[in-house]
Amino acid sequence: MNELHNNQSQQLWQSQPVEGIQMSAEAIRKRAGKFERTILWRNRREYVGALIPAVLFAFSFVRTHDILFRIAFGTLIAGLALMVFHLHHKGSARTLPGTLGASTCVQFFRGELERQRDLVANVWPWYLAPLVPGFVLYTAAYGRALPYPVNLGGMALLDGIVAAVFFFIWKLNQRAAGSLQRLIDELYATENSR
Amino acid sequence: MSTTETIPAAKSTQDELYQDAVRVYGPAVERLARAYEADPEIRRDLLQDIHVALWRSFEGFDGRCSARTWIYRVAHNVGASHILRQRRTRSQALVGLEELENLPDAASGLQAADRSQALDRLMHLIQRLKPLDRHVILSYLEGLDAASIGEIAGLSPSNVATKIHRIKTMLARQFQQGENDHE
Repeated sequence: MNELHNNQSQQLWQSQPVEGIQMSAEAIRKRAGKFERTILWRNRREYVGALIPAVLFAFSFVRTHDILFRIAFGTLIAGLALMVFHLHHKGSARTLPGTLGASTCVQFFRGELERQRDLVANVWPWYLAPLVPGFVLYTAAYGRALPYPVNLGGMALLDGIVAAVFFFIWKLNQRAAGSLQRLIDELYATENSR
Repeated sequence: MSTTETIPAAKSTQDELYQDAVRVYGPAVERLARAYEADPEIRRDLLQDIHVALWRSFEGFDGRCSARTWIYRVAHNVGASHILRQRRTRSQALVGLEELENLPDAASGLQAADRSQALDRLMHLIQRLKPLDRHVILSYLEGLDAASIGEIAGLSPSNVATKIHRIKTMLARQFQQGENDHE
């Protein structure tokens, strides 16, 4: 009886109508090109996102005559440059590798999960930490420019808000990394079970 | 029940390999895309992505595994990658085979009066599964044996056999349920 039901499910599955889509070599090349362009634009969008604050910092760098503010803006620009460097090397969107058929489903899926986990787990050293020195210098310069004790209150408020935002981003990403790690562990366990 | 046609080994160019792959496995790939994406518009894009990935992959096809294994790996890997991309926007959590049976809406029965209705229910079950279990059930439904499924997925044959046993029990129960509902 079970065999009959199983044949029924296979028959049901295999007899479903299909459109019989076949792409010509020309259409495939066009689609591949479009895919590459989409990836390129997605990455460019991310670079532009980092470029906008960099331009604002550069503008402020030129306008200010305070040496500490200048160092702060310069450090912030360097931090953004480091962030973009990491984004380009580790985090940018990419096309699927041409060796897809050489990887088993477990290998491929685990590889993709590990890549995503590394991205979110390293959000602190790669994306947040590079901005910290510039920001600390900026608040110091800001505090120095204001009279005591307003400067201390202002600095504490500004630092508190930024620290809270950074902590929230880090915590969110750590949670995502944890859930990805659980999926990876699950895959290892499935792969190694006999 | 499985696709038994083979792709001639003598064919060597990327375009020829691709055309042969689509001729033999095109329908299976289309069914597979349906199981990875419910929305027809997005599915069309996914199917085209699979075709592009297949075409690109044949540039590096060295014959170390069969063309069938290669094609199924590429298709499933693109599908898994699609699931990962959709992960953040999907409202329903994906489950394993073990958990699927315990879901309250899973026991709706496959023996519906209408074949397309039964197929919709089967598709709904499959679309709830995690990528690896989805791959196993799809390959089973396509008629592949445990050894072939294991080679494509990278799982031991005994592991696949256990999963298939679970799938068979679940599907049999689904059909049984449907029959009881009709009586």
